[in-house]
Amino acid sequence: MIFHSLAFVVFFCLTLAAYWLLPRRAQNVLLLVASYVFYGWVHPWWPILLFATTFVDFWAARLMTIAPDRRKLWLWLSIISNLGLLGFYKYCNFFIENVAAAGASVGWNIPPIALRVALPAGISFYTFQSMSYTIDVYRGHAPARTRFVDVAAFVSFFPHLVAGPIMRATNLLPQFERDRVFSPSAARDGTLLIVWGLFKKLVIADNVGVIANKVFSLESPEFFVLWAGVFAFAIQIYADFSAYTDIARGVAKWYGFDLIRNFERPYLATGPADFWRRWNISLSTWFRDYVYIPLGGSRRGPWREAGNILITFLVSGLWHGASWNYVLWGAYHGMLLLIARMARLLWPHERRAPLLGAPLRVLQVAGMFLLTCIGWLIFRETELAQLQRHLQLTPADSTDLGRSAGWYLFLLVGLYSIPLWIHDLWAELKGPDLTAALDVPETTVRWPRVAAQAVLAGLMMAAILTLRSQTALDFIYFAF
Amino acid sequence: MFRAEVLSLCLVMAGAAALPLGLRAVNGMLPGAAGSSYLPTLETPRPREPFDDAAALAIREAQPEYVVIGDSMAGIRIDPRHLSRVTGRSVAGLYTPGTPVAYWYLQLKNVVAENNLTHMRGAIVLFRDDQLTTQVAVNGPILDRVARDEEPELDRILAAHRLGPLSDVHRAARSVYQFDRTRVWLEPRLTRAPAFALGKSADLLTAINSEVFALDKLRTFEAADLPQAQEAFLDFDEQVDRSLLPAMLDVAERAGFRLAFIRVQRRPRPDGPPDQSDALARYLEKLAAYLEQRGAYFHDDRGDPDQPLAIYSDGDHIRSDARLGYTERFGRKHARFFQ
Repeated sequence: MIFHSLAFVVFFCLTLAAYWLLPRRAQNVLLLVASYVFYGWVHPWWPILLFATTFVDFWAARLMTIAPDRRKLWLWLSIISNLGLLGFYKYCNFFIENVAAAGASVGWNIPPIALRVALPAGISFYTFQSMSYTIDVYRGHAPARTRFVDVAAFVSFFPHLVAGPIMRATNLLPQFERDRVFSPSAARDGTLLIVWGLFKKLVIADNVGVIANKVFSLESPEFFVLWAGVFAFAIQIYADFSAYTDIARGVAKWYGFDLIRNFERPYLATGPADFWRRWNISLSTWFRDYVYIPLGGSRRGPWREAGNILITFLVSGLWHGASWNYVLWGAYHGMLLLIARMARLLWPHERRAPLLGAPLRVLQVAGMFLLTCIGWLIFRETELAQLQRHLQLTPADSTDLGRSAGWYLFLLVGLYSIPLWIHDLWAELKGPDLTAALDVPETTVRWPRVAAQAVLAGLMMAAILTLRSQTALDFIYFAF
Repeated sequence: MFRAEVLSLCLVMAGAAALPLGLRAVNGMLPGAAGSSYLPTLETPRPREPFDDAAALAIREAQPEYVVIGDSMAGIRIDPRHLSRVTGRSVAGLYTPGTPVAYWYLQLKNVVAENNLTHMRGAIVLFRDDQLTTQVAVNGPILDRVARDEEPELDRILAAHRLGPLSDVHRAARSVYQFDRTRVWLEPRLTRAPAFALGKSADLLTAINSEVFALDKLRTFEAADLPQAQEAFLDFDEQVDRSLLPAMLDVAERAGFRLAFIRVQRRPRPDGPPDQSDALARYLEKLAAYLEQRGAYFHDDRGDPDQPLAIYSDGDHIRSDARLGYTERFGRKHARFFQ
């Protein structure tokens, strides 16, 4: 089931009405059932995998308490089952193809076998979330829960099940275990988040996504057209993914839950490290806490640290999809981070500080955005030969029409994305952004703010009704 | 405090619901929103392209006995003149690349059945996989050239297919906010604005669409791409009543000619026919049984040894130099349909 469908509106209203009539434990049961219905709406077999993951991890965590002398065994059981499931559905064909290609290169003819299984949506998200629960129990950061329903509801909680944010057991599970009270203020803020998310998805992401798709369907796009397409994709992926998070957070607020923010104006980052503090925060911190730090982090010398960064980013790239371009994308960002660290060593903060005025900051933001766009080109172009060709293009190869078309598309994407830039710039310069402000509980109702919210919601609804793309595109991160 | 919070929630929701009503006022102030629609359930009145009388006249003058309908899959496979020579029957082709089944339905109804073709004996529709029942939802403008002023059957079926049981909600929202009417004047202005900012005319958009994104500039597999059938939509019994297939059969029955449906083979693998899921195989079995029961002719090209990968060009298209051969075999293979 997708958020922007009438089926979801009906589903949301029905579950919500029943939810607030029930006591807490029954609420969790209802959320669990609703989440499984939501997830199995199109593919009824998908919840079986979700249940299997939850069942294994629940018992792995429980056994750590019941039989603590074998804690490591139960942890590995959880890790192997989660990564095994993910590996089978996501990477099996990739592995077979590459083994066949490697075999062919040395003269072994391995018959091509392809598994005809569809990748279950959200599997990368819920396996990571579920696995983090057992790891946190193993580390002693969270106690093993005794109520299966609570853990199952935590793993499957439908607002963020398919595309995150990836929540930690230490954050979300306690919310399932405490009584929840309906808060009209939270519901109001949730409504605004939902409308803002729908606006970003339907008006910005889907409209510019059509442009990106068109450009990337060309055999030989000219320089300006290609980079207009890359710009379109950069806006699409940010608007699309952050829209899903905002809708998820907004829906969760109606049920009395708080999900973490996943984006902090990433295109205003001043460098690679800053970008990763702002982009897909829940995944970045997951990899930091469960891959980078266990590998040794920065504790074992600069060379080991560099290796750990590269490994973490390679794995992060591969997490996005079973294709070499994602691995390359991960490696590219890993290298950017290493280069930035080296630059920091050569040019320490004390020497840079006087220069860090507004003009330099603007240059840093522009430079980082350009580097991010190069990354998005690697991310979006799945054919490596095409990627090589794209990177060799120069402006001199363009025709007049190609140049005009490129600038036209660039401006059109810019036009659609104006609200996104205004929002992010305003928040960066003036204080908490729309979504952050909504996380601050109110002690009194501030009517000017409420009036502004009402007008904003109305304007965004009008824009959704009139400017939504005629071509409905799936949320990009469903594919991961 | 709680009461104030509830009031603030109501205010935001009221703002979201009421402010878009301003679109009605804006529509009233701006010209150019007048027009009509043959899909009143799906869209508010809008300017439309007129029905293509010239194409209808041309086919009426030709008075064919058989008509082949479809998109580029049909156009690249069947040469009507050669098929006429092979079968001894006069054949005409109605091919429009990239068209959906709704377009074929309107062609069948308005250009063939209701066009005084006195010698008509049969129409042949070439399609891919589950296209007849699932590729139904369309945007209005693409159908303009083949649609009459009123198309109640099409409106009913498309509304049911696209909107499902909640079509009344859509209809009510459209009627209250009139957002489609706003879209008609707003969208062109928005898409033209960057061209004007560059000091170019709106012709730049036409040039971008027809030259930069021309079909021959697309990657091999994009040019002829049709998504693989999705398993969720392969329940034939559920899909058929929401599709245009029964309406197409009714049109032919009323006009007194037979229909043939030929499923073209998608791009095969190097060592055999293209992959096909079990769900799609079951779907096709049911489709064949349904068509037989309705008195139509059905054939599936998949697995035809005369259609190896070597005769394919891009995607599911065959090479243009394979067209006559395909037509020749087509005429002989389906000779009994032409009798």
